[in-house]
Amino acid sequence: MGIAQKNIAPNLTVEIGGLTLKNPVMAASGTFGYGEEYAPYLDLNRLGAIVVKGLSLEPRRGNPPPRIMETPCGMLNAVGLQNIGVQAFIRDKLPFLRRFDLPVVANIYSESLDEFPSVARILSDATGVHALEVNISCPNVKKGGVAFGTDPGMAGEVTRRVKDVTNLPVIVKLTPNVTDIAAIAESVEAAGADALSLINTITGMSVDVERRAPHLKNITGGLSGPAIKPVALRMVWQVVNRVAIPVIGLGGILTAADALEFLIVGARAVQVGTANFVNPMAIPEIVAGIESYLERHEMAHVHELIGSLKTR
Amino acid sequence: MTRLPDDMRQFILNARVVSNTAAQAGHYLMSLRLPPDFETPLPGQFVMIRLKDRKDMLLARPFSVSGFERDAQGGRIEILYRIAGRGTRLFSQLDSGQNLDIAGPLGRPFEIPPDLKSLILVSGGVGVAPLRYLLAGLQTQRAMCAPRIDFYMGAKTADELPDPDAMRSLCDELRICTDDCTMGHPGRVTEPLEKVLESYSPTDTLICACGPPGMIRRLSEILVRHPIPCQVSLEERMACGIGACLGCAVAVRGQNGERLYQRVCREGPVFHLRDILWE
Repeated sequence: MGIAQKNIAPNLTVEIGGLTLKNPVMAASGTFGYGEEYAPYLDLNRLGAIVVKGLSLEPRRGNPPPRIMETPCGMLNAVGLQNIGVQAFIRDKLPFLRRFDLPVVANIYSESLDEFPSVARILSDATGVHALEVNISCPNVKKGGVAFGTDPGMAGEVTRRVKDVTNLPVIVKLTPNVTDIAAIAESVEAAGADALSLINTITGMSVDVERRAPHLKNITGGLSGPAIKPVALRMVWQVVNRVAIPVIGLGGILTAADALEFLIVGARAVQVGTANFVNPMAIPEIVAGIESYLERHEMAHVHELIGSLKTR
Repeated sequence: MTRLPDDMRQFILNARVVSNTAAQAGHYLMSLRLPPDFETPLPGQFVMIRLKDRKDMLLARPFSVSGFERDAQGGRIEILYRIAGRGTRLFSQLDSGQNLDIAGPLGRPFEIPPDLKSLILVSGGVGVAPLRYLLAGLQTQRAMCAPRIDFYMGAKTADELPDPDAMRSLCDELRICTDDCTMGHPGRVTEPLEKVLESYSPTDTLICACGPPGMIRRLSEILVRHPIPCQVSLEERMACGIGACLGCAVAVRGQNGERLYQRVCREGPVFHLRDILWE
């Protein structure tokens, strides 16, 4: 362990299901648009990867406003997966992202089992998509709106259908709104997933007491931000102990110290979400913070840190 | 900590509170000192302001620019705001000398055509904030060919009106309206405007408006009969201010008449009133 020469920068490279990242800090889906919104304010080449806003087969106009509400140490959102659709993404957004040395992860979303492979196939044929992230937090319309990700069988089935049609690494993004997230993780791994990302937002609610009405038009929304970090960390810890595939940790990461917690617990990489809204430089600052931590602890490679939690 | 390449700019800059005083009932006027690299805002644009290093109150708050001056040390911006919740209440307690995070100017400004004969300003409550800056800009830049300016300014009560005498000196006519009849016309600000609407020509008149949704909606109704172009500055809760979070959605009419959502922070905050769709 350790490096003798202090002037050698630690190696931050990690591999996720065959995809190599120059550092383990990715931009989370739905918090970084399609990259171009942030390009005036930071060098996109410095991200470990970008996970773009969730894409569906057809464009979706999203939910009526109000869509967001700040809550203590976090925020609720009910954007409703507004997106331009997979074809417009490839035509209008992907060429811009191809200009950067930046792995592009396409987050995909569907409310029917049959549509997932269609979206996956279209993206797999596009130049400049490096991996897929499957959002299984969405409701299965044919099964009465029960989220795919809350049932081990359905979660596995979605994973299989996507794996069948693509050669890209498949990351499955898990919902925390379940009793036993590790059981879902095992099912998704058995179905062939290359990696997992967790957690998606926690379903929540907020009420305006003067109006006696919900703050969000949708009534409920997804809670994100530092408020959910302890829950996310616990779930990542549970999952890394049950699966062999890489786990990407996310949920409330605001600082390098937050990211370090996830890596120490065993996440191979992390995603930063809500923090981007507050500070577009959050990711480069977190990367720099991880690097200086490794230097301070004389670690040559981030692998020495990942999963190094001492429980005794 | 980390440096940016030359073609990029720092999103968050430091703003120092110069003054922060109660302007009228429930409303505050905050003046902030800005660094030289803060761009001069255009009327209608907004800034995002955040209390530094607060995890409990995570998000910045969007505010219309209601005044700006460039000087040798940088710039000074004025924000007129109403206490609407926890965030604005904390802002109201700030003292001079304290530092805040500021980002901006952001969003699409008012667009004033060059050969305009009449400009009608319509405000409700704190909606006067961006119009105050628009009015100041028209005074300094276009004194030679300035249009006639009629300002219809409404508030719940006389105490909530921002310094009407100062406003009166900046426009040709100021019509004040209060819901509770404490000053000027008793009732909605759109009522006196509606009465004289047909005296304005739709071809060389523009309305710029900012106020509560009810006022904007009423404007859209009275303008159906007499379609004077109208630009409205809208407000919606925001997380990022740069178009990524999709939180600040407003329903607009698409090219084929379909309902779609645009972002107040990017396609707005100033919209053409005719494009807005109502529930």
